[in-house]
Amino acid sequence: MSGQDSYEHNLLARASLDHCVKCTICETQCPVAAVTALFPGPKYVGPQAERYRQGQSVDRSLDYCSSCGTCTLVCPQGVKIAELNSVARAAMKKDHMPLRDRLISRTTLMGAAMRPVAPLANAALACRPLRVLAEAAVGVHRDAAMPTAQRQTFTAWQAKHQPPDGAGRRGTLVYFHGCAGNYFEVETSIKSVELLEHLGYGVLVPKQGCCGLPLQSNGLFDTARAWVRRLVAQLDKAPQDLVIVSSTTSCSGMLKHEAREILGVEDAALRAVGARTRDLCEFLLAEAERGELPLDFAPLDLTVPYHAPCQLRGHGLGTPAVQLLRLIPGLTVVESGAVCCGIAGTYGLKKEKYAIAQAVGQPLFDKVKEVAGDLAVCDSETCRWQIEKACGVRAVHPVWLLHKAYGLS
Amino acid sequence: MATALVIGAGLAGLAAAIRLAQAGWQTTLASKGLGGLPLSAGTVDVLGYAPALLGDPTGRVARPFETAAALAAHDPSHPYAAIGADRAEAAVGWLRDLLPELLTGDLKTNITLPTAVGALRPTCLVQPAMAAGDLAQNRSLAIVGPSQLKDFSPELCAANLARQTWQGRPLLATAYRIDLPARPDEADSPALAYARSLDQTAYQRRFAEAVKRRLKDEEAVGLPAVLGLRDRQAWLEVQESVGRPVFEIPLPPPSVPGLRLNDALTAAAQTAGVRLVLGSSVIGFAAAGRRLKSVTLRQAGRDQAWAADAFVYAPGGFESGALSLDAAGRLEERVFQLPLRGAGGSRLGGQETAADLGRLINADYWAEQRLFAAGVAVDQAMRPLDEGEAVFDNLHIAGGLLAGAVRWSEKSGEGIAVGSAAAAADAITGRR
Ligand SMILES: Cc1cc2nc3c(=O)[nH]c(=O)nc-3n(C[C@H](O)[C@H](O)[C@H](O)COP(=O)(O)OP(=O)(O)OC[C@H]3O[C@@H](n4cnc5c(N)ncnc54)[C@H](O)[C@@H]3O)c2cc1C
Ligand code: SF4
Ligand code: SF4
Repeated sequence: MSGQDSYEHNLLARASLDHCVKCTICETQCPVAAVTALFPGPKYVGPQAERYRQGQSVDRSLDYCSSCGTCTLVCPQGVKIAELNSVARAAMKKDHMPLRDRLISRTTLMGAAMRPVAPLANAALACRPLRVLAEAAVGVHRDAAMPTAQRQTFTAWQAKHQPPDGAGRRGTLVYFHGCAGNYFEVETSIKSVELLEHLGYGVLVPKQGCCGLPLQSNGLFDTARAWVRRLVAQLDKAPQDLVIVSSTTSCSGMLKHEAREILGVEDAALRAVGARTRDLCEFLLAEAERGELPLDFAPLDLTVPYHAPCQLRGHGLGTPAVQLLRLIPGLTVVESGAVCCGIAGTYGLKKEKYAIAQAVGQPLFDKVKEVAGDLAVCDSETCRWQIEKACGVRAVHPVWLLHKAYGLS
Repeated sequence: MATALVIGAGLAGLAAAIRLAQAGWQTTLASKGLGGLPLSAGTVDVLGYAPALLGDPTGRVARPFETAAALAAHDPSHPYAAIGADRAEAAVGWLRDLLPELLTGDLKTNITLPTAVGALRPTCLVQPAMAAGDLAQNRSLAIVGPSQLKDFSPELCAANLARQTWQGRPLLATAYRIDLPARPDEADSPALAYARSLDQTAYQRRFAEAVKRRLKDEEAVGLPAVLGLRDRQAWLEVQESVGRPVFEIPLPPPSVPGLRLNDALTAAAQTAGVRLVLGSSVIGFAAAGRRLKSVTLRQAGRDQAWAADAFVYAPGGFESGALSLDAAGRLEERVFQLPLRGAGGSRLGGQETAADLGRLINADYWAEQRLFAAGVAVDQAMRPLDEGEAVFDNLHIAGGLLAGAVRWSEKSGEGIAVGSAAAAADAITGRR
């Protein structure tokens, strides 16, 4: 790894700590500190402790930070609190990385291993004795939400897919599906492509691997850097003047800012890809605002709770899905108003953090149960799995409702 | 539909956005972070002190809007001159009626409340949980706090109160402590942890029982302002169990009453249909002549031009980084480089000399600090002025960026924020 990638050289986040005026605003909004006395809060483990860190950690309570990013979002002084925490946690875990954290951070591996034996894998994940064993052996909580393996990957669908006539008349887009979008949330990826083609776009899907986000949030920075660089090169195989649209909001956040701000990857190709990347709802809402989105939606007589995931809020765009879904006649969208669902990528899977993650998500779960019939809406896949598991409802990406309202399903 | 972009999520920005959305404008509120409300006492200060005007050494203001009108007549560069005391009063009344569960007061008279250090603080609107602390009722007070809450010393508060008189009569105050951590086995519990525990019925009872056991024959009980964050009835539950009037005394940040106000206004903005875009800073703009076309938002990964028909700029002052003074004496407003004025309308900005700075910054900490009156001068539509001309026709300023008042000394910041927000929104929507 080059010197500029190293912890010591990640000056972007470190330089911001002197802007902290100790106003405590981040402390008041941290969803983890709100539910457990084990975590003293973002100011404490962030700008305060960072002053004493010289590449090593002063306090292990930092490990309870879920990296949800809320603190950075609310800080009025621009302190990169969550980024500081992520970097410091990677340094802290460097010499004793749990096996579990190495395993759960490899979504592609998990997806690839589970797919050929999908029914079996799903049955195993639903089997309590096996989960109890897994908890003891690797530390993944027995009740934690797990994805459902699919028999067919998105790429397999895509290989056989025939775009409808007229796809391409409005130009061409690159679609970034992410690993969950290839192995687990296959339906969401298919609907996204069908919707974009219905709107008249040609959709290119270059071969793509993992963005490295789960590795990053588990502190495995070196591999994460290599993976995000590989992904940038893969996306760049498509013409480099095209907009990249993604239905996986956490992975597009990785390309837009986290790889730079947390991993310290500074290169022109990453910057350019990040600047071309749009969250699907961000892209569609911008189309709507330019008067380019057809509004021939069939009414959907539904009331749904909508949760804006932390990762999406980190894009600094607000909640485009809400504005977008409100264009569908008959559909009532109730914003959850909750900070975080608790899962924060892989945080809520871990046996020592499971109870905290559930407590973090409780206000959201209450809201979903209050509003939902049997459907909830959320842009991020891991949050959807968490909501489904906790609330017993089906949780879908906003594109499912748009797809239906356009009469595509 | 006409579109408005409000910049800043403080009291001024939230109030402007709600008012615009209520008038049917498609409104977006963009902010780099939360505003100052979670740091505020959760009350609404309109005008607390005007020593120069009143010629009385305490300078304490009894009738806030009446005195604001006199202040505006006396000093035309004061923000209340452009806003107008009447419009400010109507706006503060509007805010009170928007949040009836959280704000109370008759608008005519200031209420004087004890602070956490036992000083007396005049303010215009208070939260219902604080209302029984009104010293005009002049009773004997018990000041009670948990030993585990390090941000509140009942002894300090009570002893300072007991040294003072109010309207000619001595104040009676006695300190008591209870032994009750916010969470089991904590030696040092943060205020927010108390507030969250006091959202639970069982803890409300335990807390109230512990307080009640300590009391003698005092008539009212002052407690640290931690009586529930989400449960707006928590203080009533405590009061009922204690069996006499209780009142909250605001603490240093994080301020629970300030958070309540912030949460309620954010929810009101959402209900009104305001689109909230948090975590993106405004870093530049594009204009054609006197028409502001768009501002540039720094979002994850790229900078994005955001167009709107009208803009409200409510970024606060020095405290939020909207104004800066660097080591070379360069004083500036950082996004639009708007012309700056100081106290009495004096011209500021550009390179201040050492002599200028000497006049602006007083070596005596407690003396008047004229630097903090720096800001933007505006017309009645809250448009920034340069030599008496609006800089842009569709840019309106609200809140802490306005020139002419040292808001925290006067205790005028919240009235200025709400009054200017309403004036800006109404100028945009054409409402009178
Ligand atoms: C220490 C202190 C004590 C005070 N005490 C009192 C008091 O007792 N009584 C009183 O009345 N007033 C007091 N004030 C004054 C207080 O600032 C005002 O009362 C009022 O809260 C100002 O509100 P505001 O909405 O104008 O600004 P703020 O609450 O500061 O909000 C500014 C908002 O703008 C955002 N922002 C800034 N720049 C940008 C940008 N470029 N792009 C996007 N967003 C941006 C910030 O993130 C923030 O959300 C005090 C101030 C300080 C600093
Ligand atoms: S919100 Fe920002 S400035 Fe305030 S305490 Fe947290 S890091 Fe510091
Ligand atoms: S990233 Fe989330 S969990 Fe971590 S300190 Fe910030 S707000 Fe708390």
